[in-house]
Amino acid sequence: MASTSRKDGLTLPRVTCPNHPEAILVEDYRAGDMICPECGLVVGDRVIDVGSEWRTFSNEKALKDPSRVGDAQNPLLNGGDLTTMISKGTGAASFDEFGNSKYQNRRTMSSSDRAMLNAFKEISTMADRINLPRNIIDRTNNLFKQVYEQKSLKGRANDAIASACLYIACRQEGVPRTFKEICAVSRISKKEIGRCFKLILKALETSVDLITTGDFMSRFCSNLGLPKQVQMAATFIARKAVELDLVPGRSPISVAAAAIYMASQASAEKKTQKEIGDIAGVADISSLTHQSTSCPSCEEKLPKVVFFCCT
Amino acid sequence: MDSGNDEALDIIITNVVATFRTRCHLNLRTIALEGINVIYKPEDGKVLMKLRKPKITASIWSSGKIICTGATSEDQAKVGARRLARCLQKLGFKVRFSAFKVVNVLAVCSMPFAIHLIDFTKNNRPIASYEPELHPAVTYRIKHLRATCQIFSTGSLTITGPNVQNVATAVEQVYPLLYECQKPLRKAEGVSRE
Repeated sequence: MASTSRKDGLTLPRVTCPNHPEAILVEDYRAGDMICPECGLVVGDRVIDVGSEWRTFSNEKALKDPSRVGDAQNPLLNGGDLTTMISKGTGAASFDEFGNSKYQNRRTMSSSDRAMLNAFKEISTMADRINLPRNIIDRTNNLFKQVYEQKSLKGRANDAIASACLYIACRQEGVPRTFKEICAVSRISKKEIGRCFKLILKALETSVDLITTGDFMSRFCSNLGLPKQVQMAATFIARKAVELDLVPGRSPISVAAAAIYMASQASAEKKTQKEIGDIAGVADISSLTHQSTSCPSCEEKLPKVVFFCCT
Repeated sequence: MDSGNDEALDIIITNVVATFRTRCHLNLRTIALEGINVIYKPEDGKVLMKLRKPKITASIWSSGKIICTGATSEDQAKVGARRLARCLQKLGFKVRFSAFKVVNVLAVCSMPFAIHLIDFTKNNRPIASYEPELHPAVTYRIKHLRATCQIFSTGSLTITGPNVQNVATAVEQVYPLLYECQKPLRKAEGVSRE
């Protein structure tokens, strides 16, 4: 089944299917097999599983489960978590005379990574508050690990760096969150997150794409409960406004909020400026709408908007 | 102070920051009590002295280190610093004027055209940085000149650099890049900012 090449003695044995030596084997975690995708032959078996522990549920009285092997490895992010922790005892023998437990200290696990693990926990909490998917959290963790290992931002609060990493991860995944949204789930001020954001970009020598108005439309409109037509109308208004440059020098978030306001006012579902301002984190929508409407080219836009709302 | 183009661009220097040392310990209380036009800030440990002409504000520390801000040219900064040292001398300190250095120069410049910031950022990816949520201007850092340009969509620039020469060079460097990304002139009635 397994073919090994030992001509020079240096090549490691590689399992390949005898019929399809070029095929890349697929791992089946549940059974621990390596399967050839071409013919379905089970090529390697008893592959070591680095997933979470395997537990037996055979008998009900499973107080002692002898096949526990430990927590799932997190190989990408930890430096190999092979420490032993001593948990609190349960029997009588684990307490000494005074009632204190022997072996008081749980051995601190790899103190160098303790801060990083704390940050991961914080990232997970923050992301959970705004319901971010797993891929963004993973990306954030990776970014944080890179920044942490570089040590160029060592003096900054870890929470600030974590928040900034979260912001960057959302941007990189193509679903940017505004600074104010990240602020809402973090204890760090917008100013500090902004500063850390710039520092991280410099440290990691990456850059991010610019935000556009369309990125936020679906989220803001859903939060306000606006129907799809209003959302499409608002997207159209915002895009046109930026193309025709009716709102020079304004943040895309403000433009998006103003566009949503205009679209919602033109439709059946009217939303107040305050509601939209709350969702978008924008202060003064009225001046922005006035500015964008006080121009001749808006006459050509509005008929199209009305068309959108009617269909 | 012009950029070498068809029309001369006015680069207006708004602020020059300079530092120098008096090489002697200064008693801030004495300065605060006997000096004219002084503000004593004990929590920061410094005295602010404002000169009328040239219009300069100086932060004076007891170690003898002095920072002068508010000058509008390098020469003015030097004159102001010397005048300040003379003031302190008259108060009775053995002042020796030394280590005068212009630390920062801030200039503003206005382009005759408006600028499309998004295009500009896309063309100059790593050097230019634009975060509309944080600041409405594009930050363009020129590393070898140690100068930073902030470019606004109206076409105004603010440039900070270590001396006036660098600032002028920075404007000359940035001008062609901005020229490419300019916005065509719009009908004036259309764009009104109330």
